[in-house]
Amino acid sequence: MLDRELKKGSAELLVLSLVQDRPRHGYEIGQLIELRSRGFLHFNVGSLYPLLYRLENRGWIRGRWIEKSGQRRRRYYRLTPAGEKVLAAQRHNWREFVGAINRITGIAHA
Amino acid sequence: MPDFKTEVINQLRDLNLPPARELQISEEICQHLEDFYEQAISRGATEHEAYESTLRELQQIDMSRNALKSAVARTAHEPLVAGKQSGTSLLADLVQDVRYGFRVLLKNPGFTIAAVVALALGVGANSVIFSVVNAVLLRPLPFKDPHQLVMVWEEATHLGFPKDTPPPGTFLDWRQQNTVFSGMSAMALKNFNLIGVGEPERLDGRKVSANLFDLLGVRPILGRTFSADEDKPGSQVVILSEGLWKSRFGSDQAIIGRAINLNGEMYTVVGVLPKTPDLPATDNWHDQLWVPIAFSSEEAADRGSHYLGVVARLKPGVSLQQAQAEMDTIAARLAKQYPESNARRGAVVVSMHEQLVGDIKPALLVLLGAVGFVLLIACANVANLLLARAAVRQKEIALRLAVGANRSRLTRQFLAESILLAMIGGAAGLGLAVIGLNVVKRYVPNTVSLAGAISIDLPVLLFTAGIAILTGVVFGLVPAFQASHCNVNDTLKESGRDAAAGARGHRIRNALVVAEVAVSFTLLVGAGLLINSFMHLRNLDPGFRADHLLTMKVPLSRVKYPEQEKRTAFFDEVIRRVRALPGIDSAAVGNNLPLTYDGDSILISVEGVPDPPIDQHPDVIFRVVGPNYLSTMGIPLVAGRDFTEHDNSQSSRVTIVTEKTARYYWPGQNPIGKRVKTGGPDSPWEEVVGVAKDVRQNDFIKEPKMQMYMPYAQVGDFPPNALVVRTRLNPLSLAPTVRNEIWAIDKDQPVSDIRSMDEIVSEAVARQRFSMLLLGIFAGLALILAAVGIYGVMSYSVVQRTREIGIRMALGAQRTDMLKMTVTQGLKLVLVGLTLGLAAAFVLTRVMATLLFGISATDPLTYVAISLVLLAVAAAASYIPALRATKVDPMVALRYE
Repeated sequence: MLDRELKKGSAELLVLSLVQDRPRHGYEIGQLIELRSRGFLHFNVGSLYPLLYRLENRGWIRGRWIEKSGQRRRRYYRLTPAGEKVLAAQRHNWREFVGAINRITGIAHA
Repeated sequence: MPDFKTEVINQLRDLNLPPARELQISEEICQHLEDFYEQAISRGATEHEAYESTLRELQQIDMSRNALKSAVARTAHEPLVAGKQSGTSLLADLVQDVRYGFRVLLKNPGFTIAAVVALALGVGANSVIFSVVNAVLLRPLPFKDPHQLVMVWEEATHLGFPKDTPPPGTFLDWRQQNTVFSGMSAMALKNFNLIGVGEPERLDGRKVSANLFDLLGVRPILGRTFSADEDKPGSQVVILSEGLWKSRFGSDQAIIGRAINLNGEMYTVVGVLPKTPDLPATDNWHDQLWVPIAFSSEEAADRGSHYLGVVARLKPGVSLQQAQAEMDTIAARLAKQYPESNARRGAVVVSMHEQLVGDIKPALLVLLGAVGFVLLIACANVANLLLARAAVRQKEIALRLAVGANRSRLTRQFLAESILLAMIGGAAGLGLAVIGLNVVKRYVPNTVSLAGAISIDLPVLLFTAGIAILTGVVFGLVPAFQASHCNVNDTLKESGRDAAAGARGHRIRNALVVAEVAVSFTLLVGAGLLINSFMHLRNLDPGFRADHLLTMKVPLSRVKYPEQEKRTAFFDEVIRRVRALPGIDSAAVGNNLPLTYDGDSILISVEGVPDPPIDQHPDVIFRVVGPNYLSTMGIPLVAGRDFTEHDNSQSSRVTIVTEKTARYYWPGQNPIGKRVKTGGPDSPWEEVVGVAKDVRQNDFIKEPKMQMYMPYAQVGDFPPNALVVRTRLNPLSLAPTVRNEIWAIDKDQPVSDIRSMDEIVSEAVARQRFSMLLLGIFAGLALILAAVGIYGVMSYSVVQRTREIGIRMALGAQRTDMLKMTVTQGLKLVLVGLTLGLAAAFVLTRVMATLLFGISATDPLTYVAISLVLLAVAAAASYIPALRATKVDPMVALRYE
């Protein structure tokens, strides 16, 4: 239960972070989340794409079909300037939140 | 690899996503699943295991359908593929077309503004004029069966009165002898001084036959109309107009039966009449009350005093011609029976509508034609704009056809775009019309009896909308037609711009510019002729000095001032007091100032000259005036002297004649000292003591007739009713002071019509000014629109020829050469247009002949001047694009494409 709630609250932040440095396609984003969380976080096709479309709809990321030689075209998502601001704000909030939790639970001093 | 596509599409199908979006999403998700499957294989799963796990992943979509739908639903900015053949309904297509049209219009603000402004001007001008025409010419008069109503005049063309007012004797004979009219009424203008209700006021009114209102079919809103037995001398009853009842009696419901003081006598109010158009009268006459005409037996036998207006109603089935034929017979009979008075006098039957609007009709029709022209030019402009754009869009259209758009759908879309444009233009035009009409209304001369009724109403609205939509369809069809005949292959092979410069499109656009120039030239010539006429009119010498003159009407009540001495004393005192005011040079009184009245003429007998036969005896207009009248009015004396205080009832009778009278009766002689009689063989001789310059007395435009002046102290009838004051100051600023001096003598004395003489002269040419102003405005609009049209075509052609110009300049052509080439090209079109316009103007301005004054419809000066103006404007309109052409960098131009 906690797992799902946490995932929902942090999902946007995860996706935005992942497309910050360069455009990525949907499968790549899903893979990276799983990889970097060492399997702790997993987005299936049913949760990933609605999330991407929602972010795109808000104008935070933008998808474009890009063809690379020898491959089928794929939809690459990149961060928009508006997304850039949102990401900065969410990162800040997340840090505050984690810091607060840590201070209370004493994890940092453990 | 297994195919997941079908599965994905099945999952997405009932989400009802926009088709294009659905396609993209399924593609993206398929790829995801394929990646997923490949990765499973690469991790060592069997094909079966990989397939199973991928299907499980796929089923996740089913669990998050709502999230997907809500995320996508808001991604509604689906690009419209215009002209795409879709299976959707006609209505959906229409909505799509309109939305697309809006977007196209918004994307090309320059084009849209130019087109909308052109249309708004065309439609707006048309709505204004059509509103006026509708109110004045088309709308039936608000009387019962108005087509049956006629005016019957006495015809005395040999004396210069083609529509003369008949005397009571003749009227009564007409009424008794005719069989073509179901009713006939007489009316006579009369002023009433209303006393005892607030400030004393002079009112316009009429004495009328008792049956007049039944004949017109006007029902009172209160009380009743006159009964037949009230049409007898001694009956003191009055009917009020709604306006008077409201303004002076506060809409008092109990007014019926109340007695009011008119001219010092008490009249009982029997009815109140609703607002109706003013019946024929002198200028600026608005009936406010009516009393029975009640001829005395003496009056009934009068065949010499021509002062009646006669209204009649045709019996059902009787035509105007039949009525005229019978009136001819009756008039001929009367001429035989009473040769003394009726010889050579006929009768004319004129429809009431013609009578009321006949004078303004030619001007309105010319204006209607003019705005029609303006609309033509506007449409030509818009068509031109659309054509140029269709040419540019030809490649786009071909491309759309190639990817499967269908032609009829494309045509529809173009039509939708044009109609949309036309409707925006039409709406803007209507807005413009509402503003314009309020302005124009102020200039509609008072002589148009129905001016008050002019408004934008439903027929006008429909008319405007009709024009706008028709325009849209007409000019929308040309590009649509072009589009539907576009050969996809050829167009796509050609470079877009070369295709746009197709010779046919060029020819059409050039033809439109030629037409625009021709039409605006015609309009400009028309306006030029009217402006010229108006200048001629304003430069006419009225015969007096109109500047710095204050005038007002001061009509004395005959009941209060029954004797000549009393009247004389009153006016002497007025003059004495007014003269004592600061800033006043002189003051005088007179009976009817110039240009305010067109009656009062007599036959005179000259000593030593036998009277001519009655039917050749010319009228002499007479005015009864006070001392110093001529000098105050600034009417120059050619010989002799002005009247003085010494010309009174005790001294011998004197008169002043005008030059024209003197030339007629005493050619080559000195008229001073000659004697005339004005009151029949038994009247005293009057000695000519002065000769004055001719004055435009009754009519500003026609040549003055013979006139004479008599001193009021010697003439009992026709007491002065007007005061005229010459001042060094602004005349109107003195009005209150002067009026107070009059009220200091008699606080019940009405003072009205306070105007400067300049205003009176100006009103005399109000109708001409109205036509001139409007036609001038329309011609100006036409000129602007034509200039915009020329400019548009030239800019377009310069853009088209950028490469050519670049090559020429690369080959060493000078800028001035390019400038010359482009301007010459524009001027060539203009010259062709001018030539056509010249021919058209030559023919069309003939219809304006009746509106012109002192100038012929083919006045060469006007034609030359207008040609020069148009050429100059056209040169400027093609110079600016030409200048831009010369700024072209050859290298850029060559690479252009």
